[in-house]
Amino acid sequence: MSYKISEKTRAKIDELRKIYPQKEAVLIPALHEMQKEAGWVSEDAIDALSACLGLPYARVKGVVTFYTMFNRAPVGKYHLQVCRNISCHSMGAPRILSHLKEKLRIAEGETTEDGLFTLSTVECLGSCGTAPVIAVNEKYHENMSVEKTDMLLRELGLQQ
Amino acid sequence: MPKITIDGKTIDLPAGATILQAAQALGIYIPRYCYHPALSVSGTCRMCAVEVDKAPKLQIACATEIADGMIARTDTAAVKKARKDVLEFLLANHPVDCPICDQAGECSLQDYYMDYGLHKSRVAPEDKIQRSKHRAAGRYLVLDNERCILCTRCVRFCDEVTKTNELTVSGRSDASFIDIREGKSLDNDYSLNIAELCPVGAFTSRDFRFKQRVWFLKRIKSVCTGCAAGCNIEVHYNENTVYRLMPSPNPETNTWLCDRGRMTYKALQAGDRLRKAFVKKGSMEIEPAIRHAAHLLDEAARKTGPESVVVLGSPYLSIEDNLALAELAATSLKTSNLCLDFPREQGVKDGILINKDDAPDANGLKLLKARYAGLDQGALIELINSGRIKLIVAEARALSSLKEKLRELSNIETVILAVTKSDLDFESACVLPYAANFETEGHFVNYKGLLQKTTPSVAAPDGVKPLWTVLSKLSSCTGAPIRLEDAAELRERISEFIK
Repeated sequence: MSYKISEKTRAKIDELRKIYPQKEAVLIPALHEMQKEAGWVSEDAIDALSACLGLPYARVKGVVTFYTMFNRAPVGKYHLQVCRNISCHSMGAPRILSHLKEKLRIAEGETTEDGLFTLSTVECLGSCGTAPVIAVNEKYHENMSVEKTDMLLRELGLQQ
Repeated sequence: MPKITIDGKTIDLPAGATILQAAQALGIYIPRYCYHPALSVSGTCRMCAVEVDKAPKLQIACATEIADGMIARTDTAAVKKARKDVLEFLLANHPVDCPICDQAGECSLQDYYMDYGLHKSRVAPEDKIQRSKHRAAGRYLVLDNERCILCTRCVRFCDEVTKTNELTVSGRSDASFIDIREGKSLDNDYSLNIAELCPVGAFTSRDFRFKQRVWFLKRIKSVCTGCAAGCNIEVHYNENTVYRLMPSPNPETNTWLCDRGRMTYKALQAGDRLRKAFVKKGSMEIEPAIRHAAHLLDEAARKTGPESVVVLGSPYLSIEDNLALAELAATSLKTSNLCLDFPREQGVKDGILINKDDAPDANGLKLLKARYAGLDQGALIELINSGRIKLIVAEARALSSLKEKLRELSNIETVILAVTKSDLDFESACVLPYAANFETEGHFVNYKGLLQKTTPSVAAPDGVKPLWTVLSKLSSCTGAPIRLEDAAELRERISEFIK
């Protein structure tokens, strides 16, 4: 199945190419655009983008897999991203993560059966001062604790 | 030019040179994994860190350009500690499976660990991150990600040298690994260079794996005869068996070696290697077969005259062997039907090494042509197609190269010289085997006109002799010997061509 970049996204990528002199530099903003459109970046999307930018598949693949903000599979309605870097780690992120796994009955990288939640760990969210942090889609939930996590899950509609 | 002092020794080098290059010029060895002189600098391994005066922390020698008055040290406590720490880091998730690793003995991890590491691992085996174990990565390669230290030499080789971009580093931190697209394999024409570039046991050669421990191998420099490029090689052999070919970098010829070139040694051990002669499809000892061939020559000359016999030179043969062929025609057969004219299209085919001409010695043949003249190829083909020719003496591949232009050969008898059966693609009354290029010395002139010689590393199978010896014996049986009894005589005779 071949992936086709929509006219709208392609136009955006073309705009970006004017700003960045090198095609490598366009890669990350272009990937953001692609993900905005499809919700994730598939192998076919990587092919389409590498053809569009004139970069080898391997270069795009390396970037997509390096950055945790690019989803390699479709995600649920709420993408719970638990920061695993040092500040969050020392402020209790591992406990929150294991609590989430227990509550949602899924492992890291998995999506609940109802398609509501995807759980993953990510690299530093840049909010060390308010660690631990969980990002739900683009929104940060800061100074988290197990209790606050439960509240968050209820708000998001987790059926007990 | 900037002047730099390393460990008290001073050198001037052009601006843009790095500390590592300066150290190398001074004879100071700095350990490295990711640095390779023929690839771009990546600076990923951190092994080459050195102390530089006035720099706040250690600098990596491979990526730090020298500046005038710079003072660097490679032997301080801080440098030693850095090397040890880097090694501990690189080995943190390494399986340390040296006893079953084919790289053992030529592994930089092993070597540097003994030189600079010698630490106890702080990561318990069960805590190590496991990456994928060995799998075939291509026709000639096995990839074992568990042993990889992510130096990215392989990635850069595919990006910069072959420009095929098969590899990438996927993931990040301790989850990163060398990745090939699913369903794709690493099959470029130079893939085996990656096994050689890999400083650890991550990429190994499927062909060489487990055949021989590297410390048993003996090495001898020679020349690849796989095409007209004339790449310099190192033949790795032991107990009369060649195990692998490696490039022996020479600025005039090659840095790398193509996969096809590396596999040329296979002909030595091929199942269809000719160890005996063939007469009328039946196997025969070589000596009587040579007498039989002489009989064929005599018969043809007696019945239809010497001009009914043709001798072909060959762009696949050394100057020595072609000289013997030319002499056979001139001295023994006294025929003017000698053809040394094999025009070949030459030039680098892929922008890297592989030549359009798969014959190693078309230019050497030209030297002989200047001396012996002989027929042009067009005249030869006309002559053979005219039906006046009763017997052809030729090396197998040279005759094959004319096959399309020749009409039926079925009425013409042939005495064919060949190394393996696969070289033969027509029927022949008499096939005589001869020693391959790894078994005998021979001079070749590459596409640039560079004269080089192969060095024998192993002995030919019992009774199989160099072609010039075979032809010398053949000529003796015809009663008009070409007098190439031994190597000394041969050397004297070819001296005019290898000046």
